[in-house]
Formats: sequence, C-alpha cells, structure tokens
Amino acid sequence: MFSIKNLQAQINETPILKGVNLSVNPGEVHAIMGPNGSGKSTLAKVIAGHPEYTVTEGTVEYEINFKKINLLEMETEERAREGIFMAFQYPVEIPGVPTSVFLRAAFNEICKHQGAEEMDPIDFDQYLKTKMKLLDMDDKFIDRPVNVDFSGGEKKRNEILQMAILNPRLAILDETDSGLDIDSLRIVADGVNKLRRKDNAIVLITHYQRLLNYIIPDFVHVMYDGRIVKSEGKELALKVEDKGYDWLI
Amino acid sequence: MIAQADDSLGFITNLKDLKEKFTKQNPEWLIDLRRQSLERFKALGLPTLRDEEWKYTPLSPLTKKRFSFPKEKKATGLKSLENYLKGAEINLVFINGHFVKEHSHLQQLPKGITIKNLSEALSENQADLKAYFEKYSAQQDNPFTALNQACFIEGAYIKIERKTVLEPLIHIIHLTDGKEEDIVSFPRSLLILGSSAEAKVCESHISLNQSSYLVNALTDIFMEADSKLIYTKAQKESLNAFHIGMTRIWQEKDSQLNSFSLSAGSVLTRNNLLITLNGEGISSILNGLYALTGTQLVDNHTAVDHRAPNCTSRQLYKGILHNQSRGVFNGKIFVQREAQLTNAYQLNKNILLSKGCQVDTKPQLEIFADDVKCTHGATIGQLDEDQIFYLRSRCITKTDAVKMLSRGFIEDILNEIPNASIREKLEKLLQPVLAVIS
Repeated sequence: MFSIKNLQAQINETPILKGVNLSVNPGEVHAIMGPNGSGKSTLAKVIAGHPEYTVTEGTVEYEINFKKINLLEMETEERAREGIFMAFQYPVEIPGVPTSVFLRAAFNEICKHQGAEEMDPIDFDQYLKTKMKLLDMDDKFIDRPVNVDFSGGEKKRNEILQMAILNPRLAILDETDSGLDIDSLRIVADGVNKLRRKDNAIVLITHYQRLLNYIIPDFVHVMYDGRIVKSEGKELALKVEDKGYDWLI
Repeated sequence: MIAQADDSLGFITNLKDLKEKFTKQNPEWLIDLRRQSLERFKALGLPTLRDEEWKYTPLSPLTKKRFSFPKEKKATGLKSLENYLKGAEINLVFINGHFVKEHSHLQQLPKGITIKNLSEALSENQADLKAYFEKYSAQQDNPFTALNQACFIEGAYIKIERKTVLEPLIHIIHLTDGKEEDIVSFPRSLLILGSSAEAKVCESHISLNQSSYLVNALTDIFMEADSKLIYTKAQKESLNAFHIGMTRIWQEKDSQLNSFSLSAGSVLTRNNLLITLNGEGISSILNGLYALTGTQLVDNHTAVDHRAPNCTSRQLYKGILHNQSRGVFNGKIFVQREAQLTNAYQLNKNILLSKGCQVDTKPQLEIFADDVKCTHGATIGQLDEDQIFYLRSRCITKTDAVKMLSRGFIEDILNEIPNASIREKLEKLLQPVLAVIS
C-alpha cells in the first residue's frame, strides 16, 4: 500500500534523510525508533509534505483503489485527502478558530473529495461529540480555539481526535506519547487501537518502548543518521530499551 | 456666506447652491458657525503629504475629481438594502446624504427617546442644540471637519433622556449612489445620552454599486454622567468612493463607551476618532478593524484625551491587508496633568497577506501626569507558516487556510462587541473582503 524507496531529503541544504526504505501494508503497525536527530520527525514531515524540506532523491509510492500514485508530486492537502495523516509532535495553536469549525472544514474536504454530501454544523457537532467520547475529551473543546491553552496531553488527544474524524489509511504518529502522563497515554493508546482496521496502517514514531506495550507493533525499525538501520519484530523495541542504540550503529 | 469657490474648494462644483438653502432655514448663530468653519477650511487648504497628519494618505486622486451636491435622493438596487435592515431595530436611512422617511423605521419609539433628521431638529429646537454645536470650535485643525461644519445639511439626531434605557439597536444607514454623477455628501449626526441613559448605535456607510462619490461625515456624541453606549461605525463602500469621517465622543464622569470601527473600505478612507474623557471613573473601549484588498487605503487616526483622574481607555486596532492595499494607523493618547491614575492601553496589530501591501503605524503617548499606567505598541507580520501547514495537513487548501487564519486573527476583537446584531452586520460587510483574500 505504501512504499518508500531511497528517500533523501534536506532542509536548508543540510541532508537529513539519506536513503530511507520502508514498506507498509494494510493492517500493519510499524514503530520507528532512533536517537535524537536521526531523521524520524523529518521522515514524517516529508511524507506529509512540509514545504521546508526538499526531496532530492527517491520515491514515495502510495496505492489507493488499485492505483499507484507518487505522493511526492502532490500538495500537502491532496495527500491528506487521499488518506495520509500525521499526528504532530508539537500540535500548532490556532487562535480565533474554534475546534469544531476547523474539524468540520477538514472533514467536509474529505466528503467533497469522496463525492459525499457535506455535513452541516449541527450534525457535525453530534458526530464530533461521539468521537470525543472515544478519547475521554470534554465537550467544551468544541468551542475552544484549536489547541490554544490546551495542556500537553489535551493537544495530543486532539491529534488523535482528528485522526478519528478524518479516518486516514496511513497514520503517522510523531511522538504522540511524549509529554503524556500514564493515564493520558492509556487513553490515547486505547483511542488509536480502536481506530485500527484491516484496511489502514499506522506508523508510530517514538523514543519509548512504553507506548508499544499499549499499541503492539508488527515491525520495529531503528533509524540512524537518515537511514533505517535495523528492522525486526516487536522484540527489537525491548532490546533497544535494554541496550540503547550503540550496538546498532 | 459661501462666496466664490476658491482653489481649495475646486473639487466641489456647486457649493453656491447651498447658500440660499442655509440662509433661509438656519438660525443666525449657525450661519455664523458655518461661515467661520468655511473660512477655517479655506485657511487650512487641502492637506498634502507634507502635513504630518496626512503624511501617508495622498489625496490627489480625490482632489482631481469634481463632485457636486446631488439634487435628488435616488439610488438603484434598494432591494438589497433590506439585507442590512432588521425588523426589530430602529432604522434611519439616508440616501446621498438625504433622510428618506419611507425606508426608515422610527415608529413607536419608547418614551424618552427622540430620533429625527438633524435638519428637522434644528428648525424645531435650535436653542437647545446650540450648546452642542458650540462645544467644539469652528477653528478645527482638520480641514474636512471644518468643511463638514460649514456644509452639512442632514444627518441623524438622537437624544436619549436621562435614565432612559433603550433596548433595540439604532441603526443609521448612509447609502450613497453616485451612479449618474460624482456626488458629495456631508452627513452630520448628533447623539446625546442623558445621565444614566443607555443605548446601542450602529452607523453604517454602504453603497450598492461601484459609483464614484465623496462622503465627508461628522458624528458628535455626548455622553452625560454614568451613561452607557455601544457605538459602531461600519463602512463598506464603492471601490471608487472616498470616505473622510470624524467621530467626536465627549464623555462625562463614570460613563462607559464600547466603540468599534470597521473599515472594509472604499478606495480611500480616513477615519478620525476623538475621545474626550472629561470626568472621573470613565471607561472607553475603542476597537477597530480594517480588512483591505486591491488598492484600497484606510487611514485611522485616533486621539484619546484623558482630562480627569481614574479613567481607563483600551484600544485595539487590527488590520488585514491583501494585494496592494495600504493601512495607516496613528493613535495618540494624551494624559493631562490632572489625569492621575489613568490606565491607558493601545495596540495596533497587522497581518500582511501579500508582498505589495503596506502599513504605516504610529502609536503615540503624551503624558503630563506622573502616576499613570500607559502601554502602547504595534506589530506587523505575516501568517504563520506552521499554522498554514497544520491546516493543509488536515485537507484544507492553502487559500482556505489563509482565509481561516485571517478570520481567526480578528475573532477576538469582533467578540468584544457586546451585541450580536452588530456583530452579524459586520460579518456581512466583511464577508466579501474575506472571500477574495488568499
């Protein structure tokens, strides 16, 4: 469904990704671990289409409705409409824009893209509230501006709420576990697990094995210096927890 | 009284027609005031870029035009006027500067409220009005204010008697249509709130087509002790129109003002707002918003004069500029020697959406008292790239992201308007501008 080949990318002429290869199939959960600065977050941003990064080599192929498309040729919003989702490590605050207005606009873009009817504000708020229950979020978030004055945990929950609303085929969660206390971690992880299906896939970027106790990965990859240097089953995360990264590089 | 049009008045062709009208209808003191004001205008002449107060606002496109007083109060497309009217509200409609009774809604005014055409009020009750007209001198520094004082014919007259609380919104609508010729109008309005009176007033300046005209407006508001006023001036006019307006608000002890100014523009808009805090315990909120596109220019000049102790003034003006539009903000706060324990705050924030737009902003403080708290500042910036990326990563196009963020930028000041009906009207006027920005 999703295949990265020899992906190389740079920011301000500094190479960060130096040849990443990764294949993801429907129904799979992948975890990407690795020391700070190894390029994990960059990989997520390049897949989502962040304009600050320039891709210099490689392809990102994405298969949808039996058709292969080159993700790198698409605008950020087109990728999102085709089912690519990134949960931000640092969710952005948007003063003056109520969460419900933002999420309805995003949701209706998907409806439009799929040729479905758009949802009016009243129906959408109902729909939104059912999804918020999934993440144990208070109804008051509906009217509050996006991420403004949210605690760290609330911001991360809001990311997973967006995932629940947009229903992506490939979700990349960039350090969604960082800054979460144990209760919030459980709620967020439960939310993600409820969103797992046979026809979608999840890539978790994390520093900690802790998250992988709740969301069990099929594959664990270790990234170092812009490349994936090791890929194994879930037991690799335990080894990393135990031994660190030195033995891998 | 009005002699030959000299050079500075060359942009108005038929000033002489007014003379007869005035001498027939006006009391002696008013004719005298008009004459002095006109002389003042002639002495000042039209401002140029060399005048500090008009440094960033070139008037040459205006002075090249030839405007004349409209002979008739006609306008086309009046049906769409209904968009702005609301049944439960009190409406005064002026077309090309003339009061139009059949479109106005002044029935069943509660006790203690007088609302009528200013020219009518002047002919009935001129002795009472004299004091209000003489509160500000004929020797104005702003030539356009002097010109209005000389030339005004009609406008709204609103008086709220003491302790009268008026619930419904009073909506003054100035509709201008210069379709057949370039016209000029000098609306002058007078609003008086007795002590402990309360009212909500919205003054709108609109046009229904892209005709060419000049509005030179003057609004005087007097707030007696302990009165409360929500006042909005909203403007969305033809892209070939010029709007030069002055609003003077005089506040007495313990009065509370919440004012808002919306400029969605004409080709050139100049708003002057002068607030005099003439007693203790006054609070003044003066917020404003300008949203501009194309080659529009909006110039807001505010002056807040703290003359007494223990008063608060809060001022936030926000601007969204697109294409080659230009914004000018000049805010002055004066704290006189007697005005100890003044708390004055002023901020101007701008977002530039295109490379070609420009803002000149100048907040100024002049403080003569020693125990005060005054802050001021200005910011000019662009939309945040991270915010745009965040929205785009959630399926929203770049254009829609810019619209959403621009709307978000102004949400806080719109929410400070404590009246839903005014907010609704402003949204309607803003909508066409917000729709084209990208």
